[in-house]
Amino acid sequence: MTEFLIKNGHVYDPANGIFGDLMEIAVKDGIIVNPSELSPNPKVIDAGGGIVAPGGIDIHSHIAGPKVNTGRLIKPEDHIGTCKPASNGLRSQVGRSVPNVFKIGYGYAIMGYTTVAEAASPPLEARHTHEEMNDIPIIDKLTYIIADSNWLLLDYLVDGRGDLIEAYVAWLLRATKGYGIKIVDPGADWAWLHGKGMGIDIDYELPEYGISPKDILLGLGEAVEHLKLPHPIHVHCNRLGYPGNYETTLKTIELSNKYSKGLERPAMHVTHTQFTGYKGDSWITLGSGGEDIAKEVERTDSSVDLGQLVFGPTITMTADAPFEFVLYHLERGKWSFADIEAETSAGIVPYVYRKRNYVNTVQWCIGLEVALLVRDPWKVYITTDHPNAGPFTKYPEIMALLMSKKMREDFMKDLNQVALGRASLPSISRELSLEEIMIMMRASPARLLGMKFKGHLGEGAQADIAIYDLNPEKVDVHHDYEEVIKAFSRAKYTLKDGEIVVKDGEIVRELYGTTFYTDPKVPEDSIREVEKGLKEKFPKYYSISLSNYVIGEDELRKGRVVS
Amino acid sequence: MIAKQTLSLLLNTGRTIKQGISMEAEGKLSEAYADAVARIELNEDDMKALGITDGSLVEVISKEGSIKIRAFRSKEVKRGHAYVPMGPWANMIVDPQTMSLGMPNYKYTIINVRPSEGKPTSLIEILAHYNAIIPTEIEDIELRGGSQKVYEYMVCPFCGELCDHLKLEVVGNEIKKVIGGCANSVSKLRNYHKHRILRPLIREGGHFREVSLEEALRRAARILSSAKYPLLFGWSSTVNEAIRVGVELAEILRGVIDNTSVVCHGPTALGAQDVGTARSTLGIIRHKADYIVIWGSNPSASHQNHFSLWIFSRGKWIKGRKNRKVVVIDVRETPAARLADELVRVEPGKDYELITALRMAVRDLDIELPSVAGVPTETIYRLADEMKSAKYGVIFEGMGITMTGAKHRNVEELIKLAHDLNEWTRFVLIPMRGHYNVTGSDNVFLWTTGYPFGIDFSRGYPRMVPGVTTAPDLLMRGEVDAALIISSDPVAHFPKRAVEHLSKIPVITIDPKWSLTATISDVIIPSGIVGVECGGTAYRLDDVPLRIKSILPPPPGVLCDDEILRRLLEMVKEYRNEGGRKRGEGYS
Repeated sequence: MTEFLIKNGHVYDPANGIFGDLMEIAVKDGIIVNPSELSPNPKVIDAGGGIVAPGGIDIHSHIAGPKVNTGRLIKPEDHIGTCKPASNGLRSQVGRSVPNVFKIGYGYAIMGYTTVAEAASPPLEARHTHEEMNDIPIIDKLTYIIADSNWLLLDYLVDGRGDLIEAYVAWLLRATKGYGIKIVDPGADWAWLHGKGMGIDIDYELPEYGISPKDILLGLGEAVEHLKLPHPIHVHCNRLGYPGNYETTLKTIELSNKYSKGLERPAMHVTHTQFTGYKGDSWITLGSGGEDIAKEVERTDSSVDLGQLVFGPTITMTADAPFEFVLYHLERGKWSFADIEAETSAGIVPYVYRKRNYVNTVQWCIGLEVALLVRDPWKVYITTDHPNAGPFTKYPEIMALLMSKKMREDFMKDLNQVALGRASLPSISRELSLEEIMIMMRASPARLLGMKFKGHLGEGAQADIAIYDLNPEKVDVHHDYEEVIKAFSRAKYTLKDGEIVVKDGEIVRELYGTTFYTDPKVPEDSIREVEKGLKEKFPKYYSISLSNYVIGEDELRKGRVVS
Repeated sequence: MIAKQTLSLLLNTGRTIKQGISMEAEGKLSEAYADAVARIELNEDDMKALGITDGSLVEVISKEGSIKIRAFRSKEVKRGHAYVPMGPWANMIVDPQTMSLGMPNYKYTIINVRPSEGKPTSLIEILAHYNAIIPTEIEDIELRGGSQKVYEYMVCPFCGELCDHLKLEVVGNEIKKVIGGCANSVSKLRNYHKHRILRPLIREGGHFREVSLEEALRRAARILSSAKYPLLFGWSSTVNEAIRVGVELAEILRGVIDNTSVVCHGPTALGAQDVGTARSTLGIIRHKADYIVIWGSNPSASHQNHFSLWIFSRGKWIKGRKNRKVVVIDVRETPAARLADELVRVEPGKDYELITALRMAVRDLDIELPSVAGVPTETIYRLADEMKSAKYGVIFEGMGITMTGAKHRNVEELIKLAHDLNEWTRFVLIPMRGHYNVTGSDNVFLWTTGYPFGIDFSRGYPRMVPGVTTAPDLLMRGEVDAALIISSDPVAHFPKRAVEHLSKIPVITIDPKWSLTATISDVIIPSGIVGVECGGTAYRLDDVPLRIKSILPPPPGVLCDDEILRRLLEMVKEYRNEGGRKRGEGYS
């Protein structure tokens, strides 16, 4: 029985309307309790006047699975200058943009993050994703399951039976122990199998099936809302990476209002919007569509995350295989791809974002513009689409950029001035408050994931807590941005399930978190019909047996259902 | 009187069907295994020149040593070449040079062959060279009758194909029938109970003494803990659950962990490190591939269900074999070549030249030679055109690519060929991985260390330097001072010089069966057989993960690999603490 009383901290618990109050937080057996429930002399954690907040939640990061591991394979140079030997009972850590499992777990915990969503897993290889997630220490994990080019699903969409689409989605999530439905450049991988699919728009007619990406978005969006899944469809838009794609993004976001059922969370999440927010008709005329996207997000039942660009070397990896083919032609370095039967494809290209580069500077502006122009912090999330736009370890820098116009000005000195001259970012004076940042990193992501026990510090919440050495009464977060980066890079304490795992920016204890998945309820009749269909089609579509496709609860180190 | 003529030939080694079956059914200490692998296959004309006939004894000499084996005529082998199935005989003579890649020249050794008299070299002689102890009695698990049970959709623990459609009929503890498996699979599963190691053994003087598991583990932990630089090798015929413990063990010991990729598809991984990959799952091949190249691989021996599952079969867009063109590129007329539409014979060691010429032809560049690597230039242009006009193409790449000539550069060029072809159509490259979980082993190594094989922890963090931190090189240079060998048999499959060092250092073997490595070991810990007695996750050669199930309990007192390793890890931690060293701290 571990009990802690956290004292002397400025508590930020936006979900419960607490913004910086000096109050005590009591922890008992892994959950947050009323201080009166503690024994007379609990261990006291002195927050030293710093910030006390719920553990950070990253809703989109490529941390595990076949793509990530192939990234490790083709980028051994990622290790250079990052190696940390095993010591004090901890494992060795290597890698910058595709770190090993230990560095991922430790790295997030050190920043006070305790929950991370793997962004895209092919169902057939979800077992691999789970195996890697089992080996990531400390943090809680979950994975979205790619569904948009899934042949079985496309069959159901063509048939147009909503009940069967829902039942199949439910079956798929149960079979793969997935948390949500991921849509990646809808329909593009089906087209890519035929050597097509580069830059398709939402009205494109898919070969053989005849339906469009829009039909996929609406069909899956409706199914997910009707099933009341904890997380909405998680959408990587069509035409990602193409100049002028912001219009496609607007058309996609607009769809959310068509099927929204007004659930507590948004009806559509549009991810790494920086990559899909380009104006212009070529790389030379590339501009920012950030403002338009921000408006459309506010108008509709949707949310976005940034995919904020971080300068330096990284590696791009996505199920948007045709786009990686295009990127390979731009970068002309290494290229990896894989086609996964009956489901999806993927591509991987190492990439370097350069400060003096026009396009890269525009990209950098777009992410920040979206974050600054969406007025409602409950609708926008900080991500780097790790490692696509940069490594997750740079989150503190992005938070500081959003809170400090001074930092942005200092930072922009080194960037491409032509790009800045055309961008609206230099003229945006908004500085996010600490409160807003706390909403974007903690309370709001928990809501987007439908996890009531996370992202807040109320009684009964999971005791995932971050304490930062930053006294909001003494430090001006808008001015002293270096202090902000320092504090958020190395938590004073991180508590995971009520245990101290980080102290003064160092891992002090290794433990393993939970893998969350969902198990939606659907009418027996429809599930039986789907199972009947699977018996017939599965052997035709797949190279493995149906029973071996299904992942058992015992294959997760520690699993928990969220519904 | 035999004419004492000597011929200089080029030696190729590899799998054969009989080698695989005899190894699984009878074990490597058996007559059947010796019959299958102690042989050299020669071209008819070369045999005439030597003045010998089928079954004549010849002496085979390389700069590494010499063996006496029987010669047989083979239509598969070209004049000037020779073929010896992989195994301890071949390894007495193969060129161990790895060109700093970890991969010996298994398929490119210059040998002299001359008629000989007397007796063939016996396995006993070879093992005596390594100071082995031949077990006097090899036990089988006693078969008890009992009720009949049928298990469906079982995953086969033999090759990288990882067939998951097997049906096993079991009576009591006897596997009576294996339905859907190939000859290798049937042989392995039906004979799972034979030639088992049932009790832990420790070598003392000239024989093995039976000990408790506790004592064996203690001895093993002491050997590993007191070693300065131990090698942990194998890992491709066990499940991921065991492999991840192995990585932690290597990290704590500050030793080296390497898997059999190093002598298999290691160069494929090195090629990927340089240029990337071009992959698909096997289902895609069945559905869509209308152009299939099998390069330097003989699935008929190594992956026997490969043709029936992915090439002869019907897919969404392909009706069957007649809709696919199959081209085999090889130095031999392999059994697989006989199932193909075309055999392109490349000169040994010249694959790189041929791939480069194909890349040129794909881009319509002029090739100014009449032929490249023994292949007429017009054939090269035709092949390039066929590849470009295919709807979906695949290259299945084998040891003929990774073990010869430019090795990883071959793979690199082949991946680039596949990349190039994607400008016109869709084209992929799939390595024909051998052991059932060598792919999983690479994957676990990658997510825990960032490298696929040959990983050194001497600095406390993972480093991979091919040729430096790879098992064959470390052994040949005599750099490691103890070894843990799990589910692998380097004494049978490593070059002589590497085995010689292995035989001089303390060796711990974890294996369900008597391997040749067990005979030179100081500690032998028996384990359960994955796929029958133990379960876990394994990855198919195309990276598809599958759950292997267990259907029978391991023999009394015998544990599964992961449990053995966990206990060993705990004991090693204890020793480290006793010695005042904490986890992760090495010797100074």
